[in-house]
Amino acid sequence: MRTSRGSRSGAWFAYAVLCVATLVALFPVFWTLSTSIKDRRDTFVNPPKIVNFDPTTKNYRLLFGNPAFVRVTLNTFLVTAGATALSVSVGSLAAYALVRHRRFPGRRSLEATMVIARAVPGVVLIVPLFEIVTRLRVYDDLWALIVIYAAVNLPFAVWLMTSFFQQVPFELEESALVDGAGRLQVLRMIVLPLAAPGLAATAIFVALLCWNEFLIPALLAGERSKTLPVFISGFISARNLDWGPMAAASSLAIVPIALITVVLQRRLVAGLSAGAVKE
Amino acid sequence: MRRGDPQADGLGSPAPRRSLRERAALLYVAPAWIAMLAVFAIPLLFAAYLSLRSETLTSFLPGRFVGLQNYRGELTSPIFLDALRTTLILMAMALAIQLPAGLGLALVLHRELRGTRLFRSALLIPMLLTPVAVGLMWRFMFDADLGIIGWGLEQIGLHRIDWLGDPWPARWAIVIVDSWQAIPFVMLLCLAGLAGLPDAPFEAAIVDGASRWQVFRYVTLPMLAPVLLVVTMIRVIDSFKLFDILFILTRGGPGTATQTLGMLNYNVGFNFLATSRAAALGIVLTVLAMPVYVLWVRVTGRSR
Repeated sequence: MRTSRGSRSGAWFAYAVLCVATLVALFPVFWTLSTSIKDRRDTFVNPPKIVNFDPTTKNYRLLFGNPAFVRVTLNTFLVTAGATALSVSVGSLAAYALVRHRRFPGRRSLEATMVIARAVPGVVLIVPLFEIVTRLRVYDDLWALIVIYAAVNLPFAVWLMTSFFQQVPFELEESALVDGAGRLQVLRMIVLPLAAPGLAATAIFVALLCWNEFLIPALLAGERSKTLPVFISGFISARNLDWGPMAAASSLAIVPIALITVVLQRRLVAGLSAGAVKE
Repeated sequence: MRRGDPQADGLGSPAPRRSLRERAALLYVAPAWIAMLAVFAIPLLFAAYLSLRSETLTSFLPGRFVGLQNYRGELTSPIFLDALRTTLILMAMALAIQLPAGLGLALVLHRELRGTRLFRSALLIPMLLTPVAVGLMWRFMFDADLGIIGWGLEQIGLHRIDWLGDPWPARWAIVIVDSWQAIPFVMLLCLAGLAGLPDAPFEAAIVDGASRWQVFRYVTLPMLAPVLLVVTMIRVIDSFKLFDILFILTRGGPGTATQTLGMLNYNVGFNFLATSRAAALGIVLTVLAMPVYVLWVRVTGRSR
């Protein structure tokens, strides 16, 4: 629609900008993938081999043959799923209360905590959390990670869900309440299904943040509950750095996210803009 | 939802209350409250407590109360001031690149030329990728001897740069990787802001014969200002939080060239194992970011 306003002659410039930007955005992803299917002698050469190499699955076979990697991947799935479920369920209760009760005691301090919580750098929290976790003897424990991940992402989840619940008209709840349904039933049977797209967006965001989380598992997880980002970061300190398996592990971490970003784009965009640019 | 909320008056009106009962509301927020206390409030209070003591991870002796000594030590140390300066430098570099680039791409996409949707999908991809993996891959591309970026520079007649080995290139490397992930986010918020603008002022400006630049300067930019303010605040807060990419690319090096306050806090706590000093730094970092929090609350409060 807006095109009619802009001059057509500027279109080639716009396309040039978009093409360059897309190249910059996609090249590192392409390079990760291509490095992951290169043999060691093709990874680090001058001039670089961009397409002229024999692809190999060696790096992936090496990774999946490593029991540590399998365990790490499983851990990451478990922690992500558990924390997302916990965060979204606890968060939806809180968001519902925030939308449907104007001023319960403590509302203001809850809102203030949520704002501050989103602004405190993780490094600041991790020093005391490390002390607390070791004193409670839950160091290197998957359950502890699930609870901490969920709690850390809770302010964001509540904040997003509040904006989605606000769009559910009370009239729909009213008839169910007249019929004698309880509030929890109304929340479960009416509000949550109606806010399902928003709920899905929230869940995806929280899941991605959990999947990517590095600082918490780097310090609070040992060998037993190590997650994928910590495993990947371990490639740096490895002697005789081999970029092939590193690129393969990185690809396994980022390709699902790239696909999710493209496929669920509309939902993510709605979520982000609802969260950040409210009216 | 705040205005026109007919509260039940307690006189036994037959219609159900729109509002939850107070006890129910408290019950619903209780789990969230407890979780947030556990990971935000208690650690911060515990950090404040630790910061007044002399706890380290290296000594078996219990720490003792030392008052404000840790704060005095940190605030007057040249390392702290250097880290503060580095944080602000990286923040300024990041904002100077990310805001214009994000806004520019949003303006181009907003023209809705053919194929825009495809470009938008592609441009969003970097935004949510695992920062650790992203950092490692860029580290591979930045390699001084065999990295593909150096090869690219050679192809256009420039010299290879020791990206992660020299202070300013290392700072640029951090900002480039951070921007690679942040520009799509800025672009997305600007796009949402642009989509929400009314058409009338643009039509009026064009009728009045305004040039493209004038439309941008006197119509688009002022109307988009609130969105840009929110974006700037989010990015400022994020630059205080920047950690993963920094940790993977440089760990604060070479020397202390990229050692931000967050990185310094990490190094003091987990490399020097000086728990109490790290806790004091954390409290200082939190307080330093406070003006941004206050601004954030004001702006989001206004927009509601």
